[in-house]
Amino acid sequence: MNIDEKGFNQDFQFEAPMAPKRTRLQEFWLLFRQNRLAILGLFIFILFFCCAIMGLFITSGPDPLFDPAMIRLQEKLRPPLAKPNLDSLRREEIPCLGFYLMGTDDLGRDVFARMLQGAWVSLTVGFVAVGISVLIGIFMGGVAGYFGQHHIRVDHILMTILLISGAGLVMAHSIRFGAVLLCLTLAYIFYSFFTQNRSGEKSVPSWAKVFRKSAVSVDTLIMRIVDIMLCFPSFFLILTVVALLPASIYNIMIVIGLTSWMGTTRFVRAEFLSLREQDFVAAVKTLGASNFRIIFRHMMPNAIAPVLVSATIGIATAILTEAGLSFLGFGVPPPHATWGNILSDGKNFIFDAPWLTFIPGIAILIVVLSFNLFGEGLRDVLNPKLRERH
Amino acid sequence: MANNNTLISVQDLKVYFRTGHECARAVDGISFEVRKEETVCLVGESGCGKTVSALSILGLIPTPPGEIAGGRILFQGKNLLELDEEDMQKIRGNRIAMVFQEPLTSLNPVFTIEDQIGEAISIHKNVGAKELRDRCIKLLKDVGIPSPVQRLKDYPHQLSGGQRQRVMIAMALACDPDLIIADEPTTALDVTVQAQILRLLKSIQKIRSMSVLYITHDLGVVANIADRVYVMYSGIFTEQGNTAQIFHDARHPYTQGLLASLPSRSKRGKRLYSIPGTVPNPAYKPAGCPFHPRCPHAILTCAKEYPEMCDYGQGHLARCPVLLEGGDGYK
Amino acid sequence: MLSFIGRSVVQKIITLFFVSIVSFLIIHIAPGKPSQVDPMNPKFTPEVVERFRKEFHLDKPLHVQYLYFYKDLFTGETVSWKDNQSVLKKIWERFLNSLPLFIVGTIITWTLSFPIGIRSAIFRGQFYDRSATFLSYLLISIPGFFFAYVLIIFVVNQFHVPVIGMETFGIGDGASLPHIFMDRIWHLLLPSVLGATGGIAVLSRYVRSQMLEVEGQDYIRTARAKGLSPEQVHYRHALRNALLPFVTMFGLILPGLIGGSVIIESIFSWPGMGRMAYEAILARDYPVILTVNFVSAILVLAGTFISDLLYLIVDPRIRL
Repeated sequence: MNIDEKGFNQDFQFEAPMAPKRTRLQEFWLLFRQNRLAILGLFIFILFFCCAIMGLFITSGPDPLFDPAMIRLQEKLRPPLAKPNLDSLRREEIPCLGFYLMGTDDLGRDVFARMLQGAWVSLTVGFVAVGISVLIGIFMGGVAGYFGQHHIRVDHILMTILLISGAGLVMAHSIRFGAVLLCLTLAYIFYSFFTQNRSGEKSVPSWAKVFRKSAVSVDTLIMRIVDIMLCFPSFFLILTVVALLPASIYNIMIVIGLTSWMGTTRFVRAEFLSLREQDFVAAVKTLGASNFRIIFRHMMPNAIAPVLVSATIGIATAILTEAGLSFLGFGVPPPHATWGNILSDGKNFIFDAPWLTFIPGIAILIVVLSFNLFGEGLRDVLNPKLRERH
Repeated sequence: MANNNTLISVQDLKVYFRTGHECARAVDGISFEVRKEETVCLVGESGCGKTVSALSILGLIPTPPGEIAGGRILFQGKNLLELDEEDMQKIRGNRIAMVFQEPLTSLNPVFTIEDQIGEAISIHKNVGAKELRDRCIKLLKDVGIPSPVQRLKDYPHQLSGGQRQRVMIAMALACDPDLIIADEPTTALDVTVQAQILRLLKSIQKIRSMSVLYITHDLGVVANIADRVYVMYSGIFTEQGNTAQIFHDARHPYTQGLLASLPSRSKRGKRLYSIPGTVPNPAYKPAGCPFHPRCPHAILTCAKEYPEMCDYGQGHLARCPVLLEGGDGYK
Repeated sequence: MLSFIGRSVVQKIITLFFVSIVSFLIIHIAPGKPSQVDPMNPKFTPEVVERFRKEFHLDKPLHVQYLYFYKDLFTGETVSWKDNQSVLKKIWERFLNSLPLFIVGTIITWTLSFPIGIRSAIFRGQFYDRSATFLSYLLISIPGFFFAYVLIIFVVNQFHVPVIGMETFGIGDGASLPHIFMDRIWHLLLPSVLGATGGIAVLSRYVRSQMLEVEGQDYIRTARAKGLSPEQVHYRHALRNALLPFVTMFGLILPGLIGGSVIIESIFSWPGMGRMAYEAILARDYPVILTVNFVSAILVLAGTFISDLLYLIVDPRIRL
């Protein structure tokens, strides 16, 4: 303190008042709490989650509390809250609440039980499909963004083609030829590892140099794949594949997941491209961190926010898509209930039994809405640019 | 204080920003005046409220979250804070114009230079297309842009940084305003271009006999152009006076610290002084004197009592009673 | 500029080539043989199936089938397996049916979402904005088929007009011209409104966020500092910048001709492209599925190409 000629202020120190220290989570919650719609979304989402899990337990097993498949033809199309006609029912057919909370359908099945069963379907379809698409998206986007300028050599492409066709041939029962192909490929892979380790010692013969040429950069390759995938009209593609595959809920999840990863890829790539140019990544690099550590410890936490938002909204879209497929009669095989096929069955009785249309329709609406509201709330909070302005 | 010579006088201006559960007191009671044909500098670190005070003169504080919590801004006798939006529009660009910090982002990328300068004229003046064009060319010539006729059809991205700032200045000059507020106009530019822009501002001010309110964090620039200086810290003025008083006879520890941290020939080879600590968060300011946690002369009273301005004569004021007359200012 | 066009056309053609391969593979590798069009049908004796396989080259290896298929497609000789009609002619007929639906839907979408989005951005945080926001979430979240039935019930109960199909059955006999016209309008209105709802919601949100983005820029502050009125600032300075990205979206609506209409067209029994695709999928009519896929890929690529070109034209910052 070279301007301190008068000798004040040597014996005590003043504390500057600080803004209260909050963790990132507390900060996040403080902001999120202001968005009432998003809170509502979160609340409904938790409620739905509980219902779906509870529904899984009380509608399955050998002797379920609510049996969604129990047919009571004499009790068909009863309106919600109707009392069952106790005389005509056997003991095990009486609904356990004593009345039909949401009525019955055209076969006299309890709609409440079917809705509970369908909730689990919607939930798993949403989460599994989005899980698949997010994993693929992060992987592809991360590779394109981080290793994008690496080049793939001609021999890599050739070997991949050979490997795939070899595996395909083995699966198509022409085992001998396929095995030869596979062996060749594996041999080449070992050979290339071997030569890579002692590169520089021996020069490659000139005819082999063709194979060593770099053909295309990783980034170009991945982004072209994304372009190709975007050329398919998504719902039509899903419909085609689901129609061709055997009817199963897992096929739907996988197909929705496999056809919706392109958006995630694109912005993970964009995020990585901008992050890797930033100084903190350069700083970590100069400290000698491995690629793995840079990607997962330093870049991923910065790139994950938009992924989270789009995943939340993706769940909503996946639930809608599944409902649409069920409505068209694809996917889950009949006795199993989904919200889409309850509505699809109910539409034939739309004037006589409107609850068969409205209950599943409104349920889908509310759940999808809650995911959308929650996702938008997340986006507002996680996006610092928008945060300043409200 | 306000005599006939005063062009604009700001009295006890307070601007607060409310965000949810916090209230940031960005400007916390400042008073200053700009006289005719005078260049006044507001100096301070980033985040001390300089830009907010400038924007509130033009009524450009975004509300919400911002709000003007008190004070008056008298411009030629009228209180700007009491004018409605329509009357304010007649003042903006016409009587008071502003030059912003980032010339690239402050120019609209989809309009040509002619559109943007011409617009500034045609809002306030009723001129024909031909005359508008001539005026644009004249303005561009005045701010020293070579071959102005060709430049008219250019878009902002086709110009260099210095030229963009010249265009901004041309826009500000369009209606021959009485006051130009320049908000760090040279911060985003190269050092050589900075000097050119400063020289341009100085000569224009002299030719057109306008007043300039110059906002900067760079004391070197202040020494270069200012007639009078206001030193700002955490939303208040800590010291004010003419340039000579501030630079040669600084009375506030903050100003002294700022000056001590300037590199100069006499300090060659020595370690530069730096003020310890950081600018307080405007939502959590210290009680008493806002500078006391960083002040080398602070005494216990500084943490309790808000310091008054102490007069050193000839318009030189400093908000530090401790240093007045050997430290018996608090009495 | 020319080199950009050339490069991008070549790139798009390569992409199209891969799309054709992938769609061909998806269909042919999936379980279930195309020759089992209807195994229950007694007319499909083994001999018929054999002849069928021969005729459509299904006995050849996959890559030969691929070549045959696309040779037929480009010479316009592809025929549907179901009714032996030319696929391209079928698609063209159905396309003409879908077109009015698409045009009306697009017009509704674009004319409504821009004013809504812009107003929301200007009055952000106020009642108008908040209700518009909630409404668009509602529209995004509502399942199209459910909404369709709600609207059908409403319209049928309130106005007593039939809305299924392209026109009321048998109306051609003896009805007056304005009557037929009104009938057409009623039938057109509901499906196009339904097709537009999702679009309105998404687009108006997007317009709003674009406007907000632009309104936070420095040049908006400059414009206000010049003394412009708020209207001039919003509609001249902000809107002009906010609109740039939407020019590109104009190209991207092309693929909507096929994609989104499957469910709505099947609910309303509208004989359009989406419904034809749906029927083709049900019948495993591979030539039709593949052709629809190929056409829609062309539409997507043409759309992105057009939007790239438009962007070049409107944004002064891009000059090639």
